[in-house]
Amino acid sequence: MRYKVKCVCDSFNPRKCLSFPLFLHTVRTAEPLEYHRSYLKENCRHDGRELSEFRTTTLNIGSISTADGSALVKLGNTTVICGIKAELANPTVEAPGKGYIVPNVDLPPLCSSRFRPGPPGEQAQAASQFIADVIESSEVIQTEDLCIDRGKLCWVLYCDLMCLDYDGNLLDACIIALLAALKNTKLPEVTINTETCSPEVNLEKRRELHVHKHPVGASFCIFDNSILIVDPMSEEESLCTAHLTVVTDEEERLCAVHKPGGTSLSGEKLQECITRAATRQREIQKLIDKVINSVKAAQ
Amino acid sequence: MEVYGSSGVSLREFGCEQSLLSRPDGSASFIQGDTSVLAGVYGPAEVKVSKEIYDRATLEVLMQPKVGLPSVRERSQEQCVRETCEASLLLSLHPRSSLTLILQVLHDDGSLLSCSLNAACMALMDAGLPMSCLFCGVTCAIDTEGRIITDPTAAQEKESRALMTFAIDSKEHRVLMSATKGSFSVNELQQCIAVSQSASEKIFQFYRDSVRRRYSKTL
Amino acid sequence: MKDTPLSNCERDFLLKAIEEKKRLDGRQTYDYRKMKITFGTDFGCCFVDLGKTRVMAQVSSELVTPKESRPNEGIMFFNIELSPMASPAFEQGRQSELSVKLNRQLERCLRNSKCIDTESLCVVSGEKVWQIRVDVHMLNHDGNLMDAASIAAITALCHFRRPDVGIQGDEVTVFSPEERDPIPLSIYHMPISVSFAFFQQGTYLLVDPCEREERVMDGLLMIAMNKHREICSIQSSGGIMLLKEQVMRCSKIASIKVSEITELISKALENDKKARKAGERCGFAESMPQERITALKMDETPVEMTDVTEKANDIVHNADAPPQMVPSPVVPIPGVGQVGQGVQSTWGLEEDDEGEEEENDNSGEEQDEKVTRMEEEKLESREGDVVEISDSEEEEVVILNPEKVSKNTGYTSHHKGAAATQKRKRK
Repeated sequence: MRYKVKCVCDSFNPRKCLSFPLFLHTVRTAEPLEYHRSYLKENCRHDGRELSEFRTTTLNIGSISTADGSALVKLGNTTVICGIKAELANPTVEAPGKGYIVPNVDLPPLCSSRFRPGPPGEQAQAASQFIADVIESSEVIQTEDLCIDRGKLCWVLYCDLMCLDYDGNLLDACIIALLAALKNTKLPEVTINTETCSPEVNLEKRRELHVHKHPVGASFCIFDNSILIVDPMSEEESLCTAHLTVVTDEEERLCAVHKPGGTSLSGEKLQECITRAATRQREIQKLIDKVINSVKAAQ
Repeated sequence: MEVYGSSGVSLREFGCEQSLLSRPDGSASFIQGDTSVLAGVYGPAEVKVSKEIYDRATLEVLMQPKVGLPSVRERSQEQCVRETCEASLLLSLHPRSSLTLILQVLHDDGSLLSCSLNAACMALMDAGLPMSCLFCGVTCAIDTEGRIITDPTAAQEKESRALMTFAIDSKEHRVLMSATKGSFSVNELQQCIAVSQSASEKIFQFYRDSVRRRYSKTL
Repeated sequence: MKDTPLSNCERDFLLKAIEEKKRLDGRQTYDYRKMKITFGTDFGCCFVDLGKTRVMAQVSSELVTPKESRPNEGIMFFNIELSPMASPAFEQGRQSELSVKLNRQLERCLRNSKCIDTESLCVVSGEKVWQIRVDVHMLNHDGNLMDAASIAAITALCHFRRPDVGIQGDEVTVFSPEERDPIPLSIYHMPISVSFAFFQQGTYLLVDPCEREERVMDGLLMIAMNKHREICSIQSSGGIMLLKEQVMRCSKIASIKVSEITELISKALENDKKARKAGERCGFAESMPQERITALKMDETPVEMTDVTEKANDIVHNADAPPQMVPSPVVPIPGVGQVGQGVQSTWGLEEDDEGEEEENDNSGEEQDEKVTRMEEEKLESREGDVVEISDSEEEEVVILNPEKVSKNTGYTSHHKGAAATQKRKRK
């Protein structure tokens, strides 16, 4: 049996706080770093998780009926919805036999008070770029599959990822949402009319997109140059000294080791993260497969 | 120039010139083969109220591409450079002030991010900002046959299967920053880190030599 | 970041010096600062140093569709980037008055003077033409940015080579530099801008003002001229009144300066061409001054690889093996799955034993209601055309306690959706 510490402190109501003395509440607002350190010293976290434990991951596939593929992911409170829209386009001159995938991460003001309305901020841009890199590096979709008529017509997949609730670890949630949505995507059949040379889309007949790889990310935070925690919440993210995201696929190949800076990490520590990421990959792939099968069974 | 086909594990000839611009408080241009980046630092100076941080200096990094306006790619590189600099600079010594680091790409012939990191470090040194350690950037590419190439040219980058850039600190030679492209095995990653660590020794030695040369006479 | 203001005594000193026909850097009234033109490794990349002012220009080309009004003309695009590196007063991504002024002047100087043959840039009339883009980056601002920018831009244009194209029927192929030698642009003449600063309401005049002098000047006159002494553009700013004689005198000075600068540009281009032909290395690595103590260069260095493999293997082998077992996900209803036992989300979509804890939250009920509604929508969207309502076997789907459900207004539709799902399953 797993021992579980349930901290009710999240309510910020001192009368309800059963597990810890009142002063901890004061400490949390006044000295947030010290507050977190006191838990980390005991090898646990303020919400009752172990250091290498993810929050509960909830996945819903096919959430948006108007999209060609969609998925909603909740990682604790962090919520990301992904909708995929397929459009016909002309391939580029450099790659006539390939379609393309355009991911976009949106962090609207509704998901957290830290984001302002207007053009995408730095975090949203960095996340979009990261997702684009993961798609390219992992070869989750081979862009050759998106080609309909070489040099003339191809599919372009617009993957819109929107964060509905921001509570840390955006990248992991985005990758799961994207992968699940891609697995859910069904493209209509396109035939090219030989007389008019115009494409005809048969919306009745749809085929599934072939997902070659299953990249899944695991994000880590480093506290005080040494303590590694997995799946940080937004409070932990803002207090830590470095971030790290490792993306692995089912063959245990790494698709991205993204550490934008912060305190340094030795090769040994990095290896620990990779091991954890590999376990996470299996866990999530199982989840996605099971949910996809349940959707298919229901149809 | 690297010779194709032979063992690619070498750093192209590299060079650096410090305080070449009169306006910035610190400036440096760093050259790796044909790749070249110019860096300028302003600060510590007055900060905008909206960007003020009460207990440390605000560091802004701007990356200017050679052609056109900065895109999302530059943004993510800015983020990498900024967070690396933040980790090594002692920002808490200048609370409520601003530091601005501008990186201008002069020529991109591969390993651009590592060159930017090196230029940034030299410019920060030239500006005389207090740092807890120095850092350097090393790019490794893995070609289709699985060989590691350090400091690849643009052509080598294009042919490579995977590309990794690491920032290594001078104190413990650990990984400050990592940015990767393409897929690779765990073993390849660890090898590349080890190679970068050994390559970083050369770059730090170069840093030391150039500082020694610079202060050999009083300016 | 703000620029440091000029103090009053500094201002007075500068003006006094100008009255006495002296300049801070020891120049005469009509002297230009030392000018240096260097080229990058690429075609169309040029650096201009004018004293301490430093400017980089890069020319690039792209195939685009032409403007409808001019179907057989290529497009010229100029962009002066006031990089914050040049001066702390310049801000990233903001169109300041100065940048608009410089951009307009450069356009007038190079585009409106028709110095470049835009018709030769046409590939397929009305369909494909070359767009030539000139990006000018200010790297260090020590006055007279306009002259430096115009020299850098025209030199870069002269240096630039665009890829050759071949037309076969409808297909346009762009040849790489290895396949076919790139082609230079056809340039008729080289307009160069020369700036004059006026002080004390036009009493005193200086050529090539430095940054300090620009700060105390009353007005600026910019004349763009080519070596045939044809004026391409003339602009006076700062609100001073100039006499006809003053303008005439300035244009005479400009013609001398322009012929000097044109010669320098031709010489620089010639040298670069020779160096490239001889196969010598060119670019920044070569232009770096070796004699300065602030500069250092290191030759190609090998990296030791002896213990790399062992070190990597050690790390990989010493690491803990990942657990083979992974938790099994729970799928309460089709399309929804959950894994992990860490912190639950506020949606409270969880296994039965933990459902009760959540009720401690004041907001618990309200949120649970939200869940139901969400579920409804999901199910309904999947089941567009349900006709029959069956009232059996919905227990598996309902996550909430019965009393809460009864409060929920949307119960019937939820019920309906859930039942329909069940029905499909049975089929």
